[in-house]
Amino acid sequence: MTENKSNDLKTILLAGLAVAILLSVLAPFLASSNPDGLESAAEDVIDEHTFAEMEENEPIIGALMPDYAIAGFGKAGEVGAIFIGSIFMLGLGLGVGKLFEKKI
Amino acid sequence: MHIPDAFIPLDQAIVYWIIVIPFIALSIRWARQEMDDMKIPLLAALAAGIFAIQAMNIPVGMGTSGHMVGAVLAAIILGSPWAGVLLLTLVLFVQALGFADGGVTTLGANILNMGLISGFVGYYTFIGLKKIKLSMPIAAFGGAWLGLFISSIACLLEMTLAGTFPLVPGLIAMGTYHAIIGVIGEGAITAVAVSAIAQARPDLLSQFSDEAVTT
Repeated sequence: MTENKSNDLKTILLAGLAVAILLSVLAPFLASSNPDGLESAAEDVIDEHTFAEMEENEPIIGALMPDYAIAGFGKAGEVGAIFIGSIFMLGLGLGVGKLFEKKI
Repeated sequence: MHIPDAFIPLDQAIVYWIIVIPFIALSIRWARQEMDDMKIPLLAALAAGIFAIQAMNIPVGMGTSGHMVGAVLAAIILGSPWAGVLLLTLVLFVQALGFADGGVTTLGANILNMGLISGFVGYYTFIGLKKIKLSMPIAAFGGAWLGLFISSIACLLEMTLAGTFPLVPGLIAMGTYHAIIGVIGEGAITAVAVSAIAQARPDLLSQFSDEAVTT
């Protein structure tokens, strides 16, 4: 790897990290809590009773940090959850990229 | 647009898995041919960036919000719609298992809509718009908008087959919300990001220069 390419790698990873940190700090405060397009459409077209039943259904597999929050930590937990997820994705992306790296 | 478990019966959810698995395999084949010193960090940065931006729900009026999907941006930056399939597969898995965002049984449908359909429709619309000599940001906007819109219609059709949504009211609701989400959440952000990259690192997008796409 030449020095240029190694600098590229660091710069791109740092840019990804910067975007992830910025968004994880901002999203819990700025993101809208309104339902998304699919949920809104569901509220519009499914009768109230059926929709309420569907909402109550527990996910098939319990998630580690449901709804991008860490129970009991409020907004800090939301920042933490998105941050942890982003860093995990950075590592996962790097790992998957390395795993499939083309052999020359 | 993350479909929860309760919205699609298990047998149908399995069908979407069967449809999408060969495409995930093809996206891995793409990665084996493309991953180099430059594209590995881009893949990682996009994985983190797409995950984080999907947490940013933007209000779009009518009591509704929406967020970017990001498959089209990933496809443009990495030069292939397979990048969108691979990245959205990774992001959607982590969202479902880690954050209960989208179901686990419905992951196949979600990867089909947000990775495959949104990425392919968006990327090839972008290429088509570049070929008729539209500027980079306008082509990126058009591709990102159409990618999101068509994937929301695919999602509606799945909901209708599942018996969850009636066709016509569902089409009106999903179409209206996602036409707006596509402008703000997908189109505008993709156009701004592509413009910023074209300024900072024109080499990454050199294959889409006017000379390259029209020859």
